[in-house]
Amino acid sequence: MENLAVAVETYSRGGAVLMPLLLLCALLLAVTGLGNLFGRRPLLPRWSFWLLLATAGLMLLGFLGMIWFHWQIAQHAVLELPEQLAAMLNQQLAAMNRGAAYGIPLYDPQSPPRYLIPPWIEYQRYYFWFFCFALMAVLAHRRLENHRFRGSLYLLLAAQLVVLYFLADPFREPLPRFFAEITPWFTAPSAWEQLGMFMRLYPRLEFYYTASYMWFHPPLLFISYACITIFFAVSLLMLIRRELEVEKVGYDYAKFGYFLLTLGMLLGYPWALKAWGPNWWWDPKVSSSIMLWAIFSTYLHTRLYANKKGMWYFSAALGLLCFVAMIFTFVASYIFPGEHSLM
Amino acid sequence: MEDKSSSSYDYKLILATTVVLGGISVICVAAMFYFKAAAVHEMAATAQMAYLNTMNGIVAPFIIALILLLGICVPKRLLPERWLNRFTIVLLAVALVTFLALGGHPALLLILFASLALQLVVLGMALAGSASLNFESKNYWVRLGSSLVHLGLILFVLDLYFHRYHTLHLVLFWITTGAVVLGMLFCFYAEQVAGLIRRWWPARA
Repeated sequence: MENLAVAVETYSRGGAVLMPLLLLCALLLAVTGLGNLFGRRPLLPRWSFWLLLATAGLMLLGFLGMIWFHWQIAQHAVLELPEQLAAMLNQQLAAMNRGAAYGIPLYDPQSPPRYLIPPWIEYQRYYFWFFCFALMAVLAHRRLENHRFRGSLYLLLAAQLVVLYFLADPFREPLPRFFAEITPWFTAPSAWEQLGMFMRLYPRLEFYYTASYMWFHPPLLFISYACITIFFAVSLLMLIRRELEVEKVGYDYAKFGYFLLTLGMLLGYPWALKAWGPNWWWDPKVSSSIMLWAIFSTYLHTRLYANKKGMWYFSAALGLLCFVAMIFTFVASYIFPGEHSLM
Repeated sequence: MEDKSSSSYDYKLILATTVVLGGISVICVAAMFYFKAAAVHEMAATAQMAYLNTMNGIVAPFIIALILLLGICVPKRLLPERWLNRFTIVLLAVALVTFLALGGHPALLLILFASLALQLVVLGMALAGSASLNFESKNYWVRLGSSLVHLGLILFVLDLYFHRYHTLHLVLFWITTGAVVLGMLFCFYAEQVAGLIRRWWPARA
């Protein structure tokens, strides 16, 4: 536990330096964003690009820090039990596995289960999502020389960084739910008590924290959210002006986002069967994800006829609706009960 | 004239698809609020099952409409508009008779299997590069991709019927996933795929 405490301390200290720097970047991005979005001419184009690049670079540093932190967790957060208890434990696990569609691996004293967790849980999911957006904003910036489009990217990134700083700082109190779950393990007075806890912690470790799907399902969705944010900016501009090259960039990001969203949702299906069984249909989060997918599909269908009278604005409105649906889907975990609930 | 008319037909189909997808979205949102208000997660298992069945019943007409649209979308690749209308009427009539004689599930399965069979024909023709398919795009990879995505959607709905047969359900699911993912890649990135094929397999290109 001491090693973990040191890792938490180091990680938080790093974050305490990084986050104010990111907030400063957000303020500067907001100023240049407003200037570019509403100005007739580009405002400080070269300087703005370097600012965007510096922000993405700082976010990369923070992400590398998260990877380091998770590596420390994997090294030190281990569910290790005395060998004499292993046989008894495995009897219980074997009994649990009997008749279950998906069994849980037996305990191996030579290689006890450890928490190798991907860096997109709890508040880190926001960080990962916004970091992906920052990288995409750099790419989109280089691709299209349109100061209004660029301005909207700066503004959106600034807004995300402000949310990160004030509402979802992943460094201030690292992984509170995770540590609330595992701290009793390390403070348990005896191995017998740990044995009782093991039966609670181990299934969650297997089916959630270290599940192989955890490495694919959430990141695919977060990257697709970043794409949706880009084409939200495009949809806004489409309502104001008819610029085909801006729409083309937005469509490319929409296609990529739709591909990742569909793949991510599909990969969540076998995971849900494994972790929850077959009766999770109509779970609120699943319903909202299907809603998002349906709206996104509608956008891609209508976009084929964007040149028809009225369809340009209709598909732009659907782009905006898609963004609203994405935000709704994301916050659904905090508002609605169910299997995905974080209430 | 024929082009304009078929384009208008496609446009109407897309508008109809938009309406159906919009309906599904509204039902999903309503289900979320009902789930919270009625605290479905705290109900007994039997009550939860009853809720699932009720919701399935509410969304079923929209899924049927979506399948019917797919049932029209798929043969439109094969048939000219006049024949397409006749085919649609015959398909609906046979489905209606099956519904009245045997019930909703066999009627749906009939439409699904009819669509599946036709889609496999379309896929085979797209794979062979047939020029007689009616696609908006002339690009080989877009045609192949679109055929695969539609095949994936039909298989996905069909797969839901087999959710009680664990192994079959998962095998079908992974086939569905493969078809949809490949289809989207071919549709969205046709030029890049063609470029890759030219680079790695010049004889085939």
